Amino acid sequence: MSAKYEKQNPAFYVLIAILVFMSIGPVMLMFINSFKLDVDIISGTSGLLFLPTIQNYEKALCDVLWYEPEHVDFCSLKFGGAFINSLIIALISTFLTLVIGCMAAYALVRFRFMGRDTASLTTLMVRMVPPAVLLVPVFGLWNNEFCLDKEGLIGGLIRDTFGGRGDVCLAGTHSGIILIYVAMNLPFVIWILQSFIVQVPRSLEEAARVDGAGPFQVFFKVVLPLIKPGLAAAAIFTFRIAWNEYLLASALSDRNTKTVPILIVNNMSEFNVEWGVIMATGMLLAIPPIIFTLFASRQIITGMTAGAVKG
Amino acid sequence: MPTIHLENLIKRYGTVQVLHGVELEMADNEFTVLVGPSGCGKSTTLRMIAGLEDVSEGEIYVDGKPVSHLEPKDRDLAMVFQDYALYPHMNVAKNMSFALLLQKRPKAEIDRKVREVAATLGLTDYLGRKPGELSGGQRQRVAMGRALTRDAGIFLFDEPLSNLDAKLRGQMRAELALMSQRVQKNMVYVTHDQIEAMTLADRIVVMHGGYIQQQGSPKELFKKPVNKFVAGFLGMPPMNFLDGEITDTADGVFVSGDGFALKLEGEKAAAAKAHSSREVTLGLRPSDLVYDADAGAGRALQLDIIVSEYVGAQTVLLCKCGPANVVVEVNSQTPIALGQTLTFAANSAGVHLFDRHSEVAL
Ligand SMILES: Nc1ncnc2c1ncn2[C@@H]1O[C@H](COP(=O)(O)OP(=O)(O)OP(=O)(O)O)[C@@H](O)[C@H]1O
Ligand SMILES: [Mg+2]
Repeated sequence: MSAKYEKQNPAFYVLIAILVFMSIGPVMLMFINSFKLDVDIISGTSGLLFLPTIQNYEKALCDVLWYEPEHVDFCSLKFGGAFINSLIIALISTFLTLVIGCMAAYALVRFRFMGRDTASLTTLMVRMVPPAVLLVPVFGLWNNEFCLDKEGLIGGLIRDTFGGRGDVCLAGTHSGIILIYVAMNLPFVIWILQSFIVQVPRSLEEAARVDGAGPFQVFFKVVLPLIKPGLAAAAIFTFRIAWNEYLLASALSDRNTKTVPILIVNNMSEFNVEWGVIMATGMLLAIPPIIFTLFASRQIITGMTAGAVKG
Repeated sequence: MPTIHLENLIKRYGTVQVLHGVELEMADNEFTVLVGPSGCGKSTTLRMIAGLEDVSEGEIYVDGKPVSHLEPKDRDLAMVFQDYALYPHMNVAKNMSFALLLQKRPKAEIDRKVREVAATLGLTDYLGRKPGELSGGQRQRVAMGRALTRDAGIFLFDEPLSNLDAKLRGQMRAELALMSQRVQKNMVYVTHDQIEAMTLADRIVVMHGGYIQQQGSPKELFKKPVNKFVAGFLGMPPMNFLDGEITDTADGVFVSGDGFALKLEGEKAAAAKAHSSREVTLGLRPSDLVYDADAGAGRALQLDIIVSEYVGAQTVLLCKCGPANVVVEVNSQTPIALGQTLTFAANSAGVHLFDRHSEVAL
């Protein structure tokens, strides 16, 4: 082994070093800058010689801190609220996407019905449409069509309970954003999961049926545990997109439902870009996906079906 | 427990028909063995009984009630799959108790049952392992165990012992025979192995190309095969076939060919005489041929020894009788040299005659 290592071409190491630098570099820059004052960032004194400060973080987190930082005179950022919005939207949309996705994928793989191949292909085609193209029609629909009349029974109830004016529309609600994220991620998830479900030997399902399992028990007790790696991969993918999505969220959210990426952009104005706060928020934004990925990737184990069938 | 009746069962995959009207009646507590060459439709028949394949035509009756529209879980049966089909994410104990858990049996009962079955199958030490951590033979035993923990009315086995070594297979065979006497269930068993078929079966069903060739008790099939295929399929080493002709002389009815002229007796002579064609195939089991240098005319066959295979107490000799190959067994003590021509006596009760063209027994 060691002999083999020595023979490695040094060029490979250089290449790896460049790749690592390219991917880690911006993150490092963001990390370092998040501890600098705006003046330091803008004056371009790059390098590591500066007095680290947590002022940016204090400012970014001002609405959740238990004390009032003295340098912040007015807490304009609602990081806590946005963070919770982001969590709600990303988690629920991931969950829904997986639930619907795995069932749809199972049906597409295992059941024979009219238009199966067409359905399978169409799901992928939907994915080909860029989100920006969806933006205008979705905005219109969510604001004007998908509404409950405020005079109506349910709409009236919602208005009475939560207050507010006008008809109750999807736009500006968590549900509205969740819905579009689910629709956006579903095709890809169905597509990934199909390839996992195909690998589950059919005779396992037959064995379960003979053992007395109904269709849902077959699915939940036999198929689902075996496609866990696929679910994990799909979950990481979906969560990451839902967490980072900016364009659609910016159009569909309102003051109370905006997500963290939108909050970051709100820090830029014509007159002033608060780089330090942006960097700090960016760092905070990166934490949940990292935790989520670490957690989910533990489920990705290969060889799940080893030993199931002969050969 | 229940009786199973297959009525004119037909299976088509698209335009390909793989079962051509299978008609089968299995009595209470009967151990039925399906045998036949690979691809003859044994698994398909079994899977149709289980409800895993649709019935193209015909009907399956269990205790007189048609069941072909029922889901497998509503048919009260347990099955061992040809390819094991173990749940890879569950350990051995979970695999074996899955069905009982679905039935919501009390935990103590499940535990007891699993331990009991694991002990008979020699799996006690492996209860905590996943199928991926077991050898082929162990997996097969788990697959057996999964069926045996159930107390279903019908047990279906698709070649459950094919991956075990000879010793273990013998043990398991004995275990199965014991169990089939004890539990009083209806069992349908698919195998390639003649010895399994002969020793376990109350009824053997020989299939070929999607047709049932013959069914009956092992003895019946061995003694009175209805055609050349069944005759050649059962028995080890297999039956020898020699082309011959029936000659009706003053001394009696003979079947004669290159190197032999055997006198037929009783019913056989009458049947041969009455048969329309003179061209027949003579079938002789190796066990019906004995080395006898003094064999009289009408019983003797002249065999040229070509190959001798020593298998312990017996030596299997591959011989030529005219153009045909003949296999015989002799005691290993018998002094025999290759290239010799020896005289063997045929047991007249062991003579089988088949029409050479239709291959049906006379
Ligand atoms: N899904 C299918 N589509 C088309 N033909 C099939 C299908 N399944 C089985 N067959 C055909 O049906 C015939 C019977 O198959 P079956 O599995 O019952 O054979 P078998 O007797 O169990 O053989 P073996 O002893 O090798 O297991 C075979 O010729 C096979 O090619
Ligand atoms: Mg088979």
